[in-house]
Amino acid sequence: MRIKLTSVLVDDQDKALKFYTDVLGFVKKHDVPVGEYRWITVVSPEGPDDLELALEPNANPAAKTYQEALFKQRIPLTAFEVSDLDAEFERLRARGVVFTGEPTKAGPVKIAVLSDTCGNLIQLYQPLET
Amino acid sequence: MLTRTGLTRLCRARDQLRETLVSALSIEEVAREASMSPYHFIRRFDELFGETPHQYRTRARLERAKHLLALSDYSVTNVCMEVGFTSLGSFSRLFTQRVGAPPSAYRKHIRSQVQIPAALPQVLFPGCLNLMARLPADCAIFKKHRGGRSATLAEVSTSVAAAGPAESDPAGEKESS
Repeated sequence: MRIKLTSVLVDDQDKALKFYTDVLGFVKKHDVPVGEYRWITVVSPEGPDDLELALEPNANPAAKTYQEALFKQRIPLTAFEVSDLDAEFERLRARGVVFTGEPTKAGPVKIAVLSDTCGNLIQLYQPLET
Repeated sequence: MLTRTGLTRLCRARDQLRETLVSALSIEEVAREASMSPYHFIRRFDELFGETPHQYRTRARLERAKHLLALSDYSVTNVCMEVGFTSLGSFSRLFTQRVGAPPSAYRKHIRSQVQIPAALPQVLFPGCLNLMARLPADCAIFKKHRGGRSATLAEVSTSVAAAGPAESDPAGEKESS
């Protein structure tokens, strides 16, 4: 058994695909129409055979409630690892991405939280050398 | 940078924009409630949520219209009014453009999929794994990993297809028992 797939809830799949590829820099792996929605996954160009991330429609009212509650409480839905947080922070901010604060040290990692424009806060973290 | 107060205000604004009645607050009024100028409000909202307040409101109205068409007995005209549009023509045009079918055709289609009266078909709100299970068995995603875990999912997909349009689990169970 392996963990190869996870998902983020998104309020609009077109918007999500644009943000996760054009802005964050992930690469589209699957985009298959399934009825009214699409099965869309993206992977990291730094690890295309790692985890696949599905951009999951939040059409279920329960999903919307969960997503909005997390957002209002400033809780990130998930986290992505980066090797140079300061550089990513500057790169993304220059592209209009909204962060909740400057990169901050938090124990063994440095973190920053951004809005993915699809209803989620996403945490970026850089493991610090000890 | 998004402060705690800014986030709270913009979230409240988003809740207000989801209000679909004709009497709902105007964008300017929502901006005022959020203590921002309309220009600043629209810009911050777009940065945070990836669409302007107007685009968000329109999407929320169309979502509500879809649910009303699926579940209520309202006429298309009443649905149009209920979700805050004042012109049936512009409502129908926008609905067709975004959803891919006119309101009346959408209602007919979606109702043909409802198996439990007064319940929405699952197609309206799938989870991602539901989507995966409904992918066609010959889909590239399964071909690529044939023989592995995904083949099992392909079998699931085939059996789902064989069982007919069982979009809702409880209905599916009922049919098979």
